[in-house]
Amino acid sequence: MKKIASVLLATTLALSLAACGNTTSNASNDAPASGSASTPAPEKKKVEITYWYSWGDKIGENNENLVKMFNESQDEVVVKAEYQGTYDDQHSKAQAAFAAGNAPEVWQNEISSVGVFAKSGMTEDLTPFVEKANLDMKDFIPGLMGNSYVDGKLYALPYLRSTPILYLNRTLLKEAGLDPAGPKNWAEFEEYARKLTVKDKRFGITMPVDIWTYEAFVRQSGGTMISEDNKTAAFNTAAGIDPVKLWLKMKKEGTMNIVTTDDAGTQAKTDFHNQRSAMQFASTADLTKNMIVAEEQGFELGTSFMPANTTFGVPTGGCNLVMSAKLSPEKQEAAWKFIQWMTSKEQTIYASSFTGYLPSRVSAVESDEMKKLYEEKPLFKVAVDQLAYAGPRPMQKAYPEIAKILKDEILRSVVDSSVTAEAAIAEAAKKADALLSK
Amino acid sequence: MTLWSRLRPYVMVAPSIAIFSIFFIYPIFYMIYLSFFNWDFINPVKEFVGLDNFTELFRNNEFLQVLSNTLNYTLLTVSLSIVISLFLAIWLNREGTWYGIVQGALFSPHIISLVSVSLVWMWLMDPQFGLLNWLLQLVGLPKLEWLSSPDSSLLSLVLVAVWKGVGYNALIFIAGLQSIPKDMYEASALDEANRLRTFYKITLPMLSPTLFFLIIINLISSFQVFETIAIMTKGGPVNSTNTLVFYIYEYGFRYFKIGYASAAGVVLLVVVGLLTLVYFKLLSRKVHYQ
Repeated sequence: MKKIASVLLATTLALSLAACGNTTSNASNDAPASGSASTPAPEKKKVEITYWYSWGDKIGENNENLVKMFNESQDEVVVKAEYQGTYDDQHSKAQAAFAAGNAPEVWQNEISSVGVFAKSGMTEDLTPFVEKANLDMKDFIPGLMGNSYVDGKLYALPYLRSTPILYLNRTLLKEAGLDPAGPKNWAEFEEYARKLTVKDKRFGITMPVDIWTYEAFVRQSGGTMISEDNKTAAFNTAAGIDPVKLWLKMKKEGTMNIVTTDDAGTQAKTDFHNQRSAMQFASTADLTKNMIVAEEQGFELGTSFMPANTTFGVPTGGCNLVMSAKLSPEKQEAAWKFIQWMTSKEQTIYASSFTGYLPSRVSAVESDEMKKLYEEKPLFKVAVDQLAYAGPRPMQKAYPEIAKILKDEILRSVVDSSVTAEAAIAEAAKKADALLSK
Repeated sequence: MTLWSRLRPYVMVAPSIAIFSIFFIYPIFYMIYLSFFNWDFINPVKEFVGLDNFTELFRNNEFLQVLSNTLNYTLLTVSLSIVISLFLAIWLNREGTWYGIVQGALFSPHIISLVSVSLVWMWLMDPQFGLLNWLLQLVGLPKLEWLSSPDSSLLSLVLVAVWKGVGYNALIFIAGLQSIPKDMYEASALDEANRLRTFYKITLPMLSPTLFFLIIINLISSFQVFETIAIMTKGGPVNSTNTLVFYIYEYGFRYFKIGYASAAGVVLLVVVGLLTLVYFKLLSRKVHYQ
């Protein structure tokens, strides 16, 4: 505990130092402007706001680049971008910062957390801002809006949004005599994995037990996670059990490598990168990264829809932008200006082509820039097309805990062969019901 | 006596007492207070629920498993690292360059950041490509699952903790050994006592204050293990490495159940307090102070 305290202390110190640094540099920036006689208005002070984002690498660069572009595009607001680890890290830090009274003005909500933060009063209702700015909400892709409204009010705007897709190592697919377009349904998926497996050398697919992926499989079987009235778990049905059955079967056959350690996600990625697995379920956000790796490793990369059971289906993912509650009107205005800019057509085109995230606006998808990109690099288009089968993630306050319970119970059936898929899901549903009924 | 000379000692200790109260005493009482409420950290209203958080804790199988994980981890880590470091200390307690080098090497894990240590061990323990499994195969033993199986994950963490702690313990033991007067050994040599007898009759009793100190320190720090778990396992797989402090962190900062997390914190406080008390009462009688 002591360590945590000292880390917090160090962070606060570093932040306050950074803050001091910025004020001085702004003061010197402003000096020449106020000195020029042509400006009649009294020295106009720039409003400073802080923006938190998650993930490094290409995604981090994208955030830093956009903020830099925003700061250069106008002279009223200065945004300071700060990296905050994973979504989980960012959420816990934001919560602690809010309790301490120094939350960032603008930050990201992983979409299933929009409800939690709106309901606890940490984020601001954006409805009045949208009305005032006369923002055309119909331009946001409807499939991406399912995690923006809480109790009928708008709390978050779609920013870096994704769906899981199936990444394929087309070189290996061709070697195995398979159609490089990828499997269309679960049966084909099993067959692909079987043919791509080389004992002690390669798995058909390496994957973690990940709730986002599980949500996709449930959706593909025509099921949902939580009941309509938010009171009970809805996954204790064939649609919720079949995915686990499939995974356990493939694991037993040795065609699917289910990693049970905490860094399972990273391992699935490295296995795919090093061609120790031939397929991978991952976010469309990894697209540009995977394209670079494939080129370095000398294999042809493919993408396709996640295979269907009774239907195609994926949850959407990624993050929406939110504004902290209880800001001064001045800061609110600045924060809104930034959010509006970040989620607009030009920026979503930039972010999408830079990372592989989905463009969040209809006008962006239809723009010449994106059309040209899809023509040159058709891999980008798969996730956009798949949006037709996509839906929101659950947003109940208890959902983070339910997700953990589900993961634990599914993992139990993976490591302990005496636990069946039915038993694991039933146990998870029982615990989830107890949490939801509170 | 003037007023000032009466007051002076209190004025002198006031700053440290103030810091101690604000950062240690107040949080403890605030935590105990919070454990009777339902609160999400943000909502201005705290809902009083009495002892509900505690009954819920002890009805929750997950929490009971967390308690037993913590106990198992603590007992294994402390006993292994004390026994190993005691033997190492006896072996290393002599003159010579090589002994100095070995002692330095043993101590080095203690000064490396636990975060980097955890990351390195994660690579070593990789079930497919890790160095440890490669070594096992080299000598013809079967591969182990390490962190990926609930059967071996807690033991793997114990291994890291022992590796990390042995050097420090050995160092303290060596200091203790060197403070034992040489004439006692000379006397026992004259009486032709064998090595085992010398160890039980002289070394161990003379070392008991050191031993006692190390057991207490190790117990308390193992009970509060956090970093290795946060980095290497996040409590998994299937809750098999979830321990008290990590459990508190998860409920407090991921599920925003501050009251429930505080109740678990109170349990930690009570257990560590009791352990310390019991050990002081029981062991202090058997400890030989010169």
